[in-house]
Amino acid sequence: MTDDRKSRTIAVCGKGGAGKTTVSALMVKNLAARGDLKILAVDADPAVGLATALRVPVRKTVDDIRNDLIGRLRNGERYDASDLPALLDYQVFEALTEGPGYAFLGIGRPETEGCFCRVNDLLRDVIATLAGNFDVVIIDGEAGVEQINRRVMEKVDDLVLVSDTSAKALQVAETIGHLSRDRGAVAFRQMGLVVNRVRQEKELESIRERISLRLLGWIPEDDLIRDYDFRGRSLLELPDASPALRVVAEVIERLGLEG
Amino acid sequence: MGLFDRAFISLRTCMKDLSDRHLLREIVHSGDLLPAWPQGGDRNLVLGSDVGIELGHPRDESLSFVLWSENSGDVKNGLVSLAGPDLGESGLKSLPFGKVVLLGGSGFNEENSCVRHRALESVRFDVDLNGYMLRAASVYQREWIRISREALRDGFSLAILGRALSEKFRQKDYIDAVEILFVTAGRQDVLSLKPVAAEVGRIAGAMGKMTEEMALDCEDCEYVDVCNEVAELKRMRDALRKQS
Repeated sequence: MTDDRKSRTIAVCGKGGAGKTTVSALMVKNLAARGDLKILAVDADPAVGLATALRVPVRKTVDDIRNDLIGRLRNGERYDASDLPALLDYQVFEALTEGPGYAFLGIGRPETEGCFCRVNDLLRDVIATLAGNFDVVIIDGEAGVEQINRRVMEKVDDLVLVSDTSAKALQVAETIGHLSRDRGAVAFRQMGLVVNRVRQEKELESIRERISLRLLGWIPEDDLIRDYDFRGRSLLELPDASPALRVVAEVIERLGLEG
Repeated sequence: MGLFDRAFISLRTCMKDLSDRHLLREIVHSGDLLPAWPQGGDRNLVLGSDVGIELGHPRDESLSFVLWSENSGDVKNGLVSLAGPDLGESGLKSLPFGKVVLLGGSGFNEENSCVRHRALESVRFDVDLNGYMLRAASVYQREWIRISREALRDGFSLAILGRALSEKFRQKDYIDAVEILFVTAGRQDVLSLKPVAAEVGRIAGAMGKMTEEMALDCEDCEYVDVCNEVAELKRMRDALRKQS
């Protein structure tokens, strides 16, 4: 029987430190635990935070592959144009790290010099084709959502913006929302906000008045997550009773990915 | 064109050596009936947790190349040979992997040989079999194959893969005969094909450069040695020079 299920892509973006990597990691945990889904976790944050949160060893990133090819081209090595897509596909697959119920791909640092747009475009096509083999793709992005568009995927299904309760982080989330919705920074089908590290529920009333984004959920301040971060423990080991995990499960349900 | 004449001779010598060591056997002949195998569809990924057996892993030996001839006697049409265990026979999760596709064809000339060779290198990507995943890099002459546990359990074999590949190559109207050699016996046996692979790779590289470069300057060309050794390459170069 052929498997032609459509893939669902969730991009998680927000100001650095607001908790998007935590939300991404908990989404991976929730979805992988179902056992019937193929999950691809993509770390598109130059800080490579998702790999740390999942305690996944990163042998090679997409940026490493890109730089290696550009270096070879600059050294005069010849490649038939028809060979490049398969070569990059081979190398990207080799760069995947597999964990229990998911696979992980690190994008790496932003490109430093030169455009090499064709190489970027080829890599983006390779990633999109690879992603099509998975049921759910979770992209841990960054504040600059254009990076996702240029280096990972042109279109996502769900844009999940993560903010803490600070005015600055909320402003960044609003800006990303505006750039995506009104300027087409990345194409998406639905967008929403997750507020992290909420100390008192009444903070949410004020936040709701200030933002235009749909609220998908809010995560209370959680000392256990702080402890895991501090000790470098994988968030996949977080107990099922964790409030953060429960909220992420609800967010997933609201996105229409119920089990 | 006899671009790969010498490579064919070298390859047959390798195969005779495998045969003399009782490693080589014929697993498919033209006309054999094999079970039909379902297609895989859009999703062809086999993740580590689903792997039944892996061939040519990046940390293991892997070699894959294609060569063709216009001499009908050079290729035993429909034959698939195997040196080493078939997929369900080894009991191992990973094997080194060698694959050589010998093709008999017609109508190759200076203008179409390079384009046809590239097209023939790409035919393997047209094979769509449920539980079979291929990653390949022509520039490395490597293939990395994963067969799912389910496919292995249901009887997927190199005979099935070889037949599927043969059928795809036969769809090219300039290909009359297809013969396939698989090697899974051991790393050294795969490596024994490397000199042939290297020669084929150099000839293909020289063809590619000749076809793409506007001005053929042989003085600084990295392929001058292979062009001087392979008479057909020299003829191709001279013909292309006349045209430019």
